[in-house]
Amino acid sequence: MVTKRHIGLALLVTGLAAIAGILAVDHIGVGEFGGIGPVQRLALAAGGLVAAVGLSLIPLGDRPA
Amino acid sequence: MTSDQPSTNQSGSPAGHRLLLWLRSALILLALAALAGYLLVYVNYALALFRFPFDYDQGEGFELMDSLLFSRGQWPYRDNSTYPFYSSNYPPVFHLLVVPLVWLFGPVYWTGRLVSFLATLVTAGVIAWAVQRQTRRPWLAALTGLTYLASNYVYHIGPLFRLHTTMVMFETAAIVLIGNSADQYQTGPGQSQMRPRLWLGLALLLAAGFTKQTAVVTCAAAFAFLFIRGPKRAILLAVPFAAIALVLFWGINLATGGQWWLNAIVANSNPWLIEQATGLYRQWFRLHSVITLLAAGLAVYELYWGRLSVYAIWFAFSVAGSAMAGKWGAGESYFTSAIAGSCILAGLAAGKLLNWSERHHPRAHVALGLLIPILFLLQARLVFHLPTGSPLGRTVAQLAGQPTEVWIPPQTSCSAPQEARPVAYVDAVGPTLLGRPPTSADAQAGRRIAAYVRDAGGPPLSEEAGFSFYADADVVTNPTQLLNLHRGGRLDVDELLEMIENRVFGVVIFRAQFYPDPVLQAIGQNYETVDTIEMNNFVYCVLKPRSEQTDGSK
Repeated sequence: MVTKRHIGLALLVTGLAAIAGILAVDHIGVGEFGGIGPVQRLALAAGGLVAAVGLSLIPLGDRPA
Repeated sequence: MTSDQPSTNQSGSPAGHRLLLWLRSALILLALAALAGYLLVYVNYALALFRFPFDYDQGEGFELMDSLLFSRGQWPYRDNSTYPFYSSNYPPVFHLLVVPLVWLFGPVYWTGRLVSFLATLVTAGVIAWAVQRQTRRPWLAALTGLTYLASNYVYHIGPLFRLHTTMVMFETAAIVLIGNSADQYQTGPGQSQMRPRLWLGLALLLAAGFTKQTAVVTCAAAFAFLFIRGPKRAILLAVPFAAIALVLFWGINLATGGQWWLNAIVANSNPWLIEQATGLYRQWFRLHSVITLLAAGLAVYELYWGRLSVYAIWFAFSVAGSAMAGKWGAGESYFTSAIAGSCILAGLAAGKLLNWSERHHPRAHVALGLLIPILFLLQARLVFHLPTGSPLGRTVAQLAGQPTEVWIPPQTSCSAPQEARPVAYVDAVGPTLLGRPPTSADAQAGRRIAAYVRDAGGPPLSEEAGFSFYADADVVTNPTQLLNLHRGGRLDVDELLEMIENRVFGVVIFRAQFYPDPVLQAIGQNYETVDTIEMNNFVYCVLKPRSEQTDGSK
């Protein structure tokens, strides 16, 4: 059975992976902006939101999702 | 059926009870009347479009061309580098649905417009059925179904020869069936009775994917839901589903010599524009904020305190997937899946609140009985749109405190900028060229352009196919497809340029100059504007071969 904790962990990992991916893309210099561009900022915010929602679900434990 | 009637002990006295009952009924009737009014406006717009024999939205004619090719047993996924330089970029299901009508009535616009319009009505019916099934409140079910049809976006594109609303119909029906089957599996007689609905839901999901590629988001949502409810079963279902989809995909690719992959997948990889995406998100939320907030509220409740329903997951995926509206060439239509999902969730949220309050909080139940129709009235107010070409339309607009006309300059890419002029259509979206029913003057303008095509003395190079259909001429090029492939370095334009330089085309019709730059340059060197004609508030430029050579000699 998939639980709230499972969903939380999945969202946390997805959000963190997205943030890491975006920062990695910025590090290798893809894109037209020198720093973090507007699309990246938006994607970072979305990744952060997903990770935060995931984190808040983990304490809900084994209740069915 | 669940009773919504406040009991006498809730309202204090029999007179108070009767007053509240009357007030609640009046508000429900008012909300239903407002939304039914939008339905009448929608039907009127659809009937006007059924009678209009040319493109209303750029690209409609190419979808008619796809249906015509299928009706002849031919694929529309073709080599763009040879005459007639035409290919479709969409999957086949919608065009196949139109084929029987093309067989019966020929290549006319109303065929696909009717199919698309009916698809929106079916979607509204499925939304209402899903809400009725769980809430047992027919008035609430009717409000949610009508709210879908009242959305500005559904109104704009519903009766067009475009495939998007048919995809949403398949998506909505699939999601409702899959959700239904999972409920049965959990609480009902068991797996054997659940299976046919589930398989039908998955088949509709496949149909959605082969209607338009963006349905992949709904496929992901459906399988995420199935995985949450039963990981093993979801994997067992995903394997044959993916296998069938892949076999169909590669079968079409094989049959078209790779043109399916090139035209339906590679050519759709357009640039993503953040301003376009964020602007559309803001507009979508402004227009649909009541149902979106109700839907989001229920989704959050299910996420933290209940069990995630298929509707909440679909809503979340669809809202995220609407980011694809930022692609060049995409637009508001990409939000219609999210709107369908939010209509269902809003209805279920309202039903849950009514059920909870009925059992636990009688005073809140009375208040909610009044509040919920008011919320749907507010939603109806947010999506205001109305043609104001008739005295009735102008009167209704004035009564609603809206302007009776909007000033918009005709859109032009090929002539001097035009002065703004009044358009008899008011829309909460703001100034828009979709939604105003086409007039007899528009049809007359289309016939004037088609006359140039008919008398051209050579094939036409037109940015819209309607004039060629009307004049019984070849449909040559799908300009945005050529542009997309050219941008990706996947188009050989040599033969097309040679034909332009040899002035083989008897006439060129521009609306937006969507052709690749080398094609536009060649046309500029070899053709000259002989007329400009306005249709649907767009300026069409008619170009004929120059009489002199490009080096200046006669």
